Order: sequence, then structure tokens, then C-alpha cells
Amino acid sequence: MTVSLKDLDDAQFTERYGADRFTATVLSSRMRYIVQHMCTGLLNNAFSLILRDWYDFAATISGPPEQNYPMSSVSNSLAMFLGTMSEAVRNTISEYGPENLRPGDVVICNDPYRAGNHVNDICFIRPVFAGDRLISFVTLRAHQLDMGGVVPAGFSGTKRNVYENGLVIAPTLLYRDDQPIKSAFNLIFDNARYCALLLPDIKTIYANLRLGEQLILESVERYGVEAYLGAIRYSTDVSAEAMRTALAELPDGVYEAEEGIDCDGIDDTIDYRIKVKITKSGPRMELDFSGTSPQARTSINAGILDTKTAVGVALKFLIDPATPFTSGAYRDIDIVLPAGTFISATPPDGAVFLYWESTGPVLLAVFRALEKALGRKAVGGDYGSLNIHNANGVLDDGTPWVTTAQCGGEHGPWGATEAGDADSYSVVYQANNLDPATEAIESELPAVVLRKEYKPDSGGAGTNRGGAAVLKDTLYLTAAEHWSSPLHTKSPSGLGVYGGKSGGLGATWVFHPEDRDVVRRRELLPTTDEVYAGATPVAGMLNPGTKCVDPDGEYFYFASTPVWHTKPHAVFRYLTNGGGGWGNPLERDPERVKKDVRDEYVTVEGAYRDYGVVITGDPVNDPEGLRVDEAATRQRRAELAGR
Amino acid sequence: MPREEVSEEDLRALGVDVARDFPGSTAADFRRYPVLSEGGWFIAVKHQKTLESVAREPGPLLGPITLASDGLDVY
Repeated sequence: MTVSLKDLDDAQFTERYGADRFTATVLSSRMRYIVQHMCTGLLNNAFSLILRDWYDFAATISGPPEQNYPMSSVSNSLAMFLGTMSEAVRNTISEYGPENLRPGDVVICNDPYRAGNHVNDICFIRPVFAGDRLISFVTLRAHQLDMGGVVPAGFSGTKRNVYENGLVIAPTLLYRDDQPIKSAFNLIFDNARYCALLLPDIKTIYANLRLGEQLILESVERYGVEAYLGAIRYSTDVSAEAMRTALAELPDGVYEAEEGIDCDGIDDTIDYRIKVKITKSGPRMELDFSGTSPQARTSINAGILDTKTAVGVALKFLIDPATPFTSGAYRDIDIVLPAGTFISATPPDGAVFLYWESTGPVLLAVFRALEKALGRKAVGGDYGSLNIHNANGVLDDGTPWVTTAQCGGEHGPWGATEAGDADSYSVVYQANNLDPATEAIESELPAVVLRKEYKPDSGGAGTNRGGAAVLKDTLYLTAAEHWSSPLHTKSPSGLGVYGGKSGGLGATWVFHPEDRDVVRRRELLPTTDEVYAGATPVAGMLNPGTKCVDPDGEYFYFASTPVWHTKPHAVFRYLTNGGGGWGNPLERDPERVKKDVRDEYVTVEGAYRDYGVVITGDPVNDPEGLRVDEAATRQRRAELAGR
Repeated sequence: MPREEVSEEDLRALGVDVARDFPGSTAADFRRYPVLSEGGWFIAVKHQKTLESVAREPGPLLGPITLASDGLDVY
């Protein structure tokens, strides 16, 4: 029988946690403050775009080896990092040897199989000593702009093995006695591009590890070591109890679902499918991924720890969103996952890079599997793929430039919930990033962001509407090489729930200047269907004649041209998938539909077709003059309800 | 993922009295297999209906992953 934390009396609490309840709570809160402070320091002082403009990092605090490295605190940042960090610290320090550590050290590891995520995401781990006693670890995982391999900046689904993928760093000492170890730095700098940017980034990371250490030691000085260590256990116990309570409220049963991605970077003959069987009994859950497709032949794979993260994020979203995400959240959850699938890839052939593209469907599979069990609490699916665009070239003076995750379809819609309509411009559910500012992009790159707007009728219809798909055009002023990675275009990722409809399909096109030179014409690309006939499809389900999105059309394969070479004035257009709707669209208040028409989330035709709402007026020239024809709406809804 | 069968002797060795602890169940209701959870990898013996673990031994640090460098002795 497990005793609730709230039912412990003061003596029991103090005996268990080495501090009174108030002190343990203060220390838990202070640990969250510390990791957030580390992130703020990094954000304010980072140099490379992926850190400064994307917030592509996360900070955690872990307990010492004798506690088995519990992760007691995570920053409010990139969730894809958070589920991997407890194992990353345990695996890195266990291999390096905790007995080999001393104050002033920083140990690094970026191996996806040891530490999760991809090789650009280096874990910087600093031990914290109280006197001679190793009491904790502060960790910053931060994306490095480049980590070698055959693709500048790395973002590509076409790399075939770990050797093409980039530099793999086993647990390695980077600082000793607070002095940089030159050979370790040079291991990175002799293998990676853009070292002049990496060096100040790493020094900033180091400074913020020291900040975290300093703040922990101040806490220890004030409250004592035993109270600090007790607060680490308390923090994880709070998460464990919250998840246990949430699990207990789900109906017992066996729930199964499938999800997947379009293909890998070799060819489009293989759909990669995730199978999940979720067994729920009382306060426990087991997720078995047996039957999932074998690992892919290129770098679209994810590692085991990334799949663990996706499971945790999915369950936090669905049933326990209010409490911090520590390693304790997994206490009553077991994951069964054989090695060698595309969500548990193994070296050397199972290259891991676009890991979120494979684990995003893990999250969606959990959403699908539990939809019926959740009822009104079900959550619609998001746009499903970061659609990352990576490009590089040189300026007229020979200066190299690179853009990473700035000019593709990286931001898009979420799915609706019981609480209301979905956001239409965020990042995928497993991320929690910023959107690079257009001004920052255009000031540093020979690129012009011509358009960011929502596509009407793309969000899944529902009592609460799914987010609208994002349409984004980017003009490149120089010749360039491009890697485009839209990996979820064959079927909707924006799962509709509780009677809601799924969102629309996305796609990607390139408009070569010989087909349509927007600079010479001095005009934006139109968004009407006619424009696509002159485009070159990059990815998506398209009508082969019109090149418009067509769920029954032909699949165009993103790596049919592994590297897209373009002349000056090429334009890439990304259209994301739409988010899923929640609830029966015929129950949406017609006045809300009218507002959507006014705001161009829904067209007059879409209102009639998808919601059974008849609207009169001109949304473009007289948006406030729109009216709902109530009698016609009642008739139309009766027709639709009868089908 | 294969799940090994568990004998009554195995369960007794783990201190499990099936009739007392899991009324209505038999040894056939238990399986041994690796799981990833809080604290890393474990080899768990679990009652399949209730998901209750009757044993959880720490597994290999990286679970089923074999690194290219595994088995190479540099000393």
C-alpha cells in the first residue's frame, strides 16, 4: 500500500526526506529556478542561431550515483531533450566513472545510443561536490550548429550510417579544474564546421553550468546536504505520485494503435510503421512497441531514449499536464521496445538524426490508442513533422552561409482539446521552441521570408477547431544547396478526436526562377491552385497534373533529389499539415464559425461543407458584415446529421 | 519482444506465493522480459494481468544496444 505524500505526518515526512515539508518544497522549487536561470543565461548569451533563435537546449539537475541519478528538475524548454536526460547522465557518468570526477570538471557525450537525441545535441554534464561529496549533476544539452558528417549542419534524412552522420563523442572530459582541455575541444573543432561560432557557445554553456553549480551550493549551504538530497527524492516522488494518480483514473484495458512516417532517404518503397499495444491496469501502464518496422536505411531513425521521451510527453499531455516532468513520471510506466526498429535504432547502420520525425508518430500513436479511453479528455493531433529545411551557399565575397530550421515548415498547428480551439503557430508537441524572427533571418542570410500565413479550411473541423496549416514562402537570393525533410505527408497527422475531423495534408514545392521569377515579376507567389502547375514538387500527396494537394493523388518523394540545387531567386513553399478537431463540428456554435470565416480560418464554402453553417456576406471586403442564415443552417445541419 | 515463461519454482524463489498473492492466477500468468522505466533498464518478472512486478533486476546500462566499441579492450 503506497502512502500518499499528503498523508505523511510531519515526522514521517522528515524521516523520509531529511527535511520538513516546507523546506523540501522550497528546495524543489529552487531547483526549477536554477535550471531556468541556467537557460536564461544561455539564451541571453548564445551566438549561434539554433540556440539564440530556437531555444534548442534544456537544463536539468540529477541526483548522485547512490540515488541512481534521479532527474529532479527540468527546465521549461525543449521537451524532446528532457526524457533522455536522466539516462544521458546515468549512462555518461557510469561509463566515465564517478570515481574519476572532481570539482571543476565538465564531461560531454553526444552519442544518440548512449545519451539520446542526435550528435549535434551535446550533453555538458558538471558534477557538483559539497566538500568531497558528489551530491548532484547539472546538465545542459545544447544543439551545436554543426557536428561534422556529410551534410553541413546535419539536418537531413539521407545520411546512411553513423560515419556519414557526424562526430560521435563517447563520455569525454572537456574541462578539468575549470580549465578547458584543448585536445577535447580540438576533437570537436577539427571535425565540425563553423567552429568560430561553436567556441563562444560552448564557453557560454560552461559559464551557465558554473552558475547552476553555484546556486546549488548556495542552497546546500543554507539548508544542508541531507535536505538537498531529500528534496531530489521528494521532487521525483511528487511526479511519480501525480502520474500514478492520473493512470489510476484511466479505464483498465488494452489499447492498440498504429502510426508512421512516409519513408526514409533511400527510396519511398517502405512505409515505416509504429505499432503500440498499451496495457493499463490500475495505477500501472505498459507500452509494447513490438511489431514496429525495422530501422530505416538512413538518418530518419530515433533512438530508444527518444521513444521513451515521446511516451512521457504524450502521457503528460493527455493525463498529467500540471506537474513537473521529472524522471519520477516513469515510475509506474514500463516501455517494452526491441532494438533495431526505426524508433530504437542501433549502430553503425541505424543512423539517428531526424529522431523527432519518428518519435512524433510515437506520441500520436499513444494519442490514437487512448482516444476512446479518454473520451472528452482526448487531444487532437498536431502537424506531425517539423518539415525542417536546411540550406547553405556562399555570398558573392565567398563568405559561407547556412540556414537551419528557419525557412521550412518548422512551425504549425496543434490539435484541439476540450478546452477550446487549437493554436495554429507553434512547434510540434514534443518541442517547446521559439520561432526565429523574420528580421533575424533576413539580416544574416541571403533569404527573404515572403509569406507566413494560415491556409483556410485546413484545420480539422470540430466543436473546437484544429489549428490551421501554415503556408510559408522563402526566396533565396544566391545559389544554394537544400535538404528538405517533410516526412509525414501521406496521411493526416492532425488526428481528429471525440467526433472531430482530421486536419488537411501538407506538401512542399520549389519554384525555380526559370518557371516563376518573383524578383523579376516583383510579386508574391499567389496561393491559388493555378500557381502549382509550374512548381517542382518536393514532397506530398499531389495531383500529378495540377501539382495541388490531393489525398488521392500521387506521392512525391522528398529525397527523389537528395540535395536540391537551386539558382538565385528560387522560392521554397512549405505547407504544413492541419491540426485535428475536437468534437462534432455540427455542434460548433454558428457564431464561432462566422468568426472563423471573418478571420479566414474557414471559407464560406468550408463553413457550409464542414460545419453545416450557411454564412452570407463578403469576408474579404466586408468581414464585419457577415451573417449566419439560421434557417438555412438548421436545414443544412439536419441534412448532414442524417447522412 | 519475446517474453520468457516463468515456472512455479522461479516464483517461489522470488518469494511469491501465487495462491496467496495473486488469487486465481498460475505461473502461466507471469513473464520475464526487459523494460525501460524510471531508473533505466530492468529485467522484470511481471504478472501480466495486473502488471505488478514481482522482480526487477537492473538490466544492462544501454538495454539491448550494442556499441561498435563493445568488447574491445583498450587496456
